[in-house]
Amino acid sequence: MQLSERDQTLLDGAAGEAAQQAMSALVQLGEAYDAPDMVDIGYAHVHAGMALYKGDVELIEATAQQGARMVVPASTNIANADMGDWQGIGAPETLGRLQKRAEAAHRRMGSATSFTCTPYWAGHWPTWNMHIASIESGVTVFANSVLGARSNRDGYFAVYAGMTGRYPRFGLHLDRNRQPTHRVTVSAQPRGTAEFTALGYAVGTAVGSGVPLIQGIRRRPSLDELDALGVGMATSGGVAMFILPGATPPFGEDADAPGLPEIEIAEAEIAGVFDTFCTGGEAGFDLVHLGCPHASFEEMKYYAELLAGRRVAPGVELWITTSRAVRQTAREAGLLAPLLASGARVVTDTCPISCHFACTCSPDPALGVTPPTLRTILVDSAKQAHYVRDMIQCPTLFTTSELAVESAVTGRFVPRSRRNG
Amino acid sequence: MAETSWQARGVVRGVADGAALVSQTALSFLGDLDIRSGRVVGRSSDLCGECVAGRVLVLPASRGSAGAWRFLYQLKMHDTHPAALILREMPDPSVTQGAILAEVPVVVAPEGTFWTNMRGGDILRVDGSSGRIERCQR
Repeated sequence: MQLSERDQTLLDGAAGEAAQQAMSALVQLGEAYDAPDMVDIGYAHVHAGMALYKGDVELIEATAQQGARMVVPASTNIANADMGDWQGIGAPETLGRLQKRAEAAHRRMGSATSFTCTPYWAGHWPTWNMHIASIESGVTVFANSVLGARSNRDGYFAVYAGMTGRYPRFGLHLDRNRQPTHRVTVSAQPRGTAEFTALGYAVGTAVGSGVPLIQGIRRRPSLDELDALGVGMATSGGVAMFILPGATPPFGEDADAPGLPEIEIAEAEIAGVFDTFCTGGEAGFDLVHLGCPHASFEEMKYYAELLAGRRVAPGVELWITTSRAVRQTAREAGLLAPLLASGARVVTDTCPISCHFACTCSPDPALGVTPPTLRTILVDSAKQAHYVRDMIQCPTLFTTSELAVESAVTGRFVPRSRRNG
Repeated sequence: MAETSWQARGVVRGVADGAALVSQTALSFLGDLDIRSGRVVGRSSDLCGECVAGRVLVLPASRGSAGAWRFLYQLKMHDTHPAALILREMPDPSVTQGAILAEVPVVVAPEGTFWTNMRGGDILRVDGSSGRIERCQR
């Protein structure tokens, strides 16, 4: 592997122990994938340090302690507690305090303490051809497919990339891998984010970790819908990039994928995803969740409109999860007051599957974390539904955002109705 | 003394040995494993009920979430990690990153005779730098 003079200097330890360890790990990664050299990255979305996993906050603290500093703009991924109000969602004091230590470590390293799975809605917007590193698969697919930036599905090494500004040239950093592997024809006409997560989920199930080229959607989806489409695919499959001709840079409207494996997604497939995740009883849900992935400002506006002048039914909790940055913008736009007046809870930094509700985590037993018993969680996202099933391991109900609000207000589940087409 | 050895592609360096635990199904490190015990709980895996701790895990492929790295690292934190991984095909970058962090040697695509001659329970020594797999005893 060809290293630059600066790569070699970091590897030799001239810039300190932290950078040396990071560069050594990146070189090993590059050699594993036959990378010819390293690229300069422009941005990194990095691991938060997760309090529900033993030794994980300590790992990020140790990196900060060694003198690591982010040399490119860096945002932090979703965490295990709302660091402004963990009591509000019933998290133990020990867990909230441990999570705050990760925040302090990131401040030392110069990361933006965004703690969100949608850093783009918080202003981190990499552009065409920029190499980036990302720990969150939803960020990877949005960056590759909507923004035209270049990212693999990374793990902890996004931190190493942020500290060195470098990443080995392999996978989706190479043009030859940014080409379609399947042609997907969509005959359904989904509307809204819930339906787009379901479409994405159906596509991911069909293509695995391929690069689907998607035809048949008759209008340009909104940014929120494009986001939803990508996270759906990244959840059911290992999709890191989709190609929507006319939207995905640099593919024009005439881009096609003739001769590749063909997949058709009709209304029945989308309805099938909703059905798969309707396993709970109609009236027995204790939590309604909106904001997976973390809500954009546009989604906050929409929720405020749906909830204006209404009240969440007794015995039901309604959570809206978003980033700190979007919550602040929403507050200044006067959207928070009506949401809170309806009885909804606006939660930042985490979400149901990322907080102490998950029973597949492995916290230090000394933290005294006990996941609560939940009857059913009602969601408006196929991603949240999938991980509620696997990580919280309780029944789900899945419907559109509008009908999720209707359900929260009436206390009775309102399912999505099938569409023609 | 090694009875037999095979050449594979070295992916994550380090040397480790253990009894082979062989699967014919792809494994998701996020979801298919109970971290505290190292036991396979995913019902889609043919290893369901087995324990990966200290074993040389032989898999056709890894699958699933980009959170795989964290679960591999968590197995290490709980001392329930596999000794080494042998895979038919290159894993997701997240798995490789987790293995480097957890210092679990990984080799990929061993030569054909490995698949026909190796048996579950064989004691294998895996060298992730040279890509060498040795069978120490039966």
